[in-house]
Amino acid sequence: MSVTAKDKGFVGRTQEGTGWYCFTTPRFKTITLHAFIVNELSVEQTVFGAILPHVLQQGTQKWPTFMQMEQTLEELYGASFRAEVGKLADKQLISIHLEIVNGRYLPGKPDTLSLGLEFLQEVIDHPHVQDGAFPEDVVKQEKDLLQRQILGLINDKGQYAVTRLIEAMADGRRFGLRKLGRVEDLDKITPHTLYDYYQKVHSTHPIILFAVGEIDPRSIEKFMQRYRTGQPRKEPENIEPYTPHFHDRLLTERQDIRQGKLNLGYHTGITLKDVRYPALMMYAGILGGFPHSKLFVNVRERASLAYYAYARLDAVLGYMIVGAGIEFEDFEPARDIIRQQVDAMQRGDISEQEWEFTLRAFDNDILSEEDNPSQLIARHLEHVLVGGGLFGEPLQRALHEVTPEQVKEVARNVSLDTVFFLTRKEDKRELEGDVK
Amino acid sequence: MMNDQAQTIEDAAIGEKREQVVLPSGLPVVVFSRPGFKKTFATFATHYGSIDNTFRDAQSGQEITVPDGIAHFLEHKMFEKKGGGDAFDDFARLGASSNAYTDYTSTTFLFQTTAHVLDNLGTLLDFVQEPCFTDENVEKEKGIIEQEIRMYLDMPGDRLHSNLMQALYVNHPVRIDIAGTVESIRTITPQNLYTCYQTFYHPSNMVLFVVGDLDASSVFDYVWENQKHKGYGKQSPISRNFPPEPQTVAEKHREQQMVVSMPLFVMGYKDPETGLSGRDLLRHELIHGLMWQMLCGRSSSLFHHLYRQGLINDRFYARYGASTTFGFSTLGGETPDPAALEAQLLEGLHHAPLRAEDLERAKKREVGEYISLFQNPEELAYAFNHMFFRRIDIFEYVDTVLSINLEDIERARHTHLNETRRASSVIRPADEGYARKESDG
Repeated sequence: MSVTAKDKGFVGRTQEGTGWYCFTTPRFKTITLHAFIVNELSVEQTVFGAILPHVLQQGTQKWPTFMQMEQTLEELYGASFRAEVGKLADKQLISIHLEIVNGRYLPGKPDTLSLGLEFLQEVIDHPHVQDGAFPEDVVKQEKDLLQRQILGLINDKGQYAVTRLIEAMADGRRFGLRKLGRVEDLDKITPHTLYDYYQKVHSTHPIILFAVGEIDPRSIEKFMQRYRTGQPRKEPENIEPYTPHFHDRLLTERQDIRQGKLNLGYHTGITLKDVRYPALMMYAGILGGFPHSKLFVNVRERASLAYYAYARLDAVLGYMIVGAGIEFEDFEPARDIIRQQVDAMQRGDISEQEWEFTLRAFDNDILSEEDNPSQLIARHLEHVLVGGGLFGEPLQRALHEVTPEQVKEVARNVSLDTVFFLTRKEDKRELEGDVK
Repeated sequence: MMNDQAQTIEDAAIGEKREQVVLPSGLPVVVFSRPGFKKTFATFATHYGSIDNTFRDAQSGQEITVPDGIAHFLEHKMFEKKGGGDAFDDFARLGASSNAYTDYTSTTFLFQTTAHVLDNLGTLLDFVQEPCFTDENVEKEKGIIEQEIRMYLDMPGDRLHSNLMQALYVNHPVRIDIAGTVESIRTITPQNLYTCYQTFYHPSNMVLFVVGDLDASSVFDYVWENQKHKGYGKQSPISRNFPPEPQTVAEKHREQQMVVSMPLFVMGYKDPETGLSGRDLLRHELIHGLMWQMLCGRSSSLFHHLYRQGLINDRFYARYGASTTFGFSTLGGETPDPAALEAQLLEGLHHAPLRAEDLERAKKREVGEYISLFQNPEELAYAFNHMFFRRIDIFEYVDTVLSINLEDIERARHTHLNETRRASSVIRPADEGYARKESDG
């Protein structure tokens, strides 16, 4: 086994739609395997991609029931296994995740890497199928559960408000589609249509496996060769950066709630691959990335209007979301303070302390990521799908080279697209900018 | 100077060790070394949480009861520094990020950093050991915490649990929300913050925990240098008072309506066996955890059965947790039919066979999860501190798991699953949905 003492980061590559990336390190006591099948979000197909991981999780040829699969995982010292759907920009990701204790720390030193890969392969390649279709009862049950999950977005108010804002900014474009799809498309799913979909996805869509732990990269490369037989797979399509369709638009929605959720969506015009991206990171960090940032200090610490106030980037699409949970009556003051802070950034009004603290906070974030297998994988996946951009130490160096003038330049191009305010039912005020 | 007293404690079963020392003030300092890790994670925690609301004030000698939510309020207020400024900035200056949390039995202050480890440790110790409460800064915090409480009031899962605790418990303060209420926090003053601080933030009631790629002896030296001039003497034991808790529940059932897509259900069992600590408590807790895993964990036939009927989804949970003064189990999740789920759970839990092979698998899982803890600094810190305050040595975990047999599980089921100590809580979708208004500007 070729385990090097020093981490060398991810090794691996993607060819003809099949990719593998392995991060070999003795730091972790577990082995993390994370496979992604990449779909393009589309109105009708998305429900299929959303339900598939849940059906795959319900049984394989070898372990036809969910219960047998779970018992197998327990035998593997409580391996944690999740099959679910994710989203990155306009991509839907079928995600199959397995984390298992490295055998060298277990009694009898079992080869848990091989056992884990076998499990993964069984899930991806050998689902439980009856007469050329997925079992009818399983499909019905998972359709019910998916429908509930789609409707359940309303349960998490913060998440709901951000999702509604992004949907509104997308204005019909694919990146605004929800990863779970729409209830009205569920009827199209039958045991046969879903199995056809599985077969298509399984043989033609991009598939990428990430592995982190004390493992030999060759075993990962070898494992993935099985997905390179037959026709080359599709390559993931290029991701179009978002451009604004609106300017300074206000949307409100009313619910029976106790706290208002204020979210603002901004266009930045810069994505991960852009040379100005490190300057944009500095911009968003100083504005609202940390407890020392302008938003936290002014909205929370000075005005006591909120418990949280943040700014966060979508590095792939190039938008920024600002959010705060506030008293319903404080809509105007909170929005005004947020706007003042955005204006201050445009004037280049940044203290030395804000600059230095932000730089150090990014150093800490970037280095710390390396201690968390899931974060390492999520970050690397972004770069693989975007096809470039800096991360790790090169990103750190680039951040240190950013100048205040560059941040000011970036700030000048930041423009407000839409404000979304989730307020209480009783809020009958006509909010300024709320055009009838 | 402290290094000659440092101890190395090993868990030979899984090849882990920690180094620790107890300072003259009674402060334990614990270091887990993780070679190759980039970040260092440290916590400074006090054995003081939301339930500690009635105690003897060390200065007056009187027993007092303080406002609900004060431990959490105090956690927020510790970040304020003498002469203005806050501790977040001190950490930011040193490249660290910091945070804090309060639960039923403890308050934890933490940082994580990839630079200036020792200086950050100093910052952690100093800000927690230098309180500064003024009328002005206490008033200001009320607005922030009110928004935090309102955020929780809109979280269905949080309300579900809160309502269950109020139904399960008659007297024990675990029935009170950790953050208190909007009304209760308004009554908090600098004076009662100082009283709580002086009672519960003595080093002998706390533990400093550090994990990272570091040398334990330099940590011990540094901490001793920081502490030796602060003048902490010995403190007499804290006298906490918990009212007697009856064997019955306060209410059998609670319901609330919220804007949710589907009902949420939880039921709980109040544990009659309290007062344990150390290995006995660990064993007690593990027995109940294994019992739930066997009865209705993801690999059980009951889970399978409920899932197949659409009564639960894969986020259904069943767990047990205990402190030295209370213990309870909770089982629940989203369900279209709370009554049917409750009925089937009751039927299944009492009658499901407990099998040796299921126990063996559940134990394997428990051991695997324990080993995984050691690569996750945040989870390790939480687990360690939570055990430490209950006088449990984390390294007894594997041995204790292995010592559990089927009779232990049977006995626990027989005692724990008692109708008189069971309550349930449901959140139902509000009749009215929500209105949407969109407009282009």
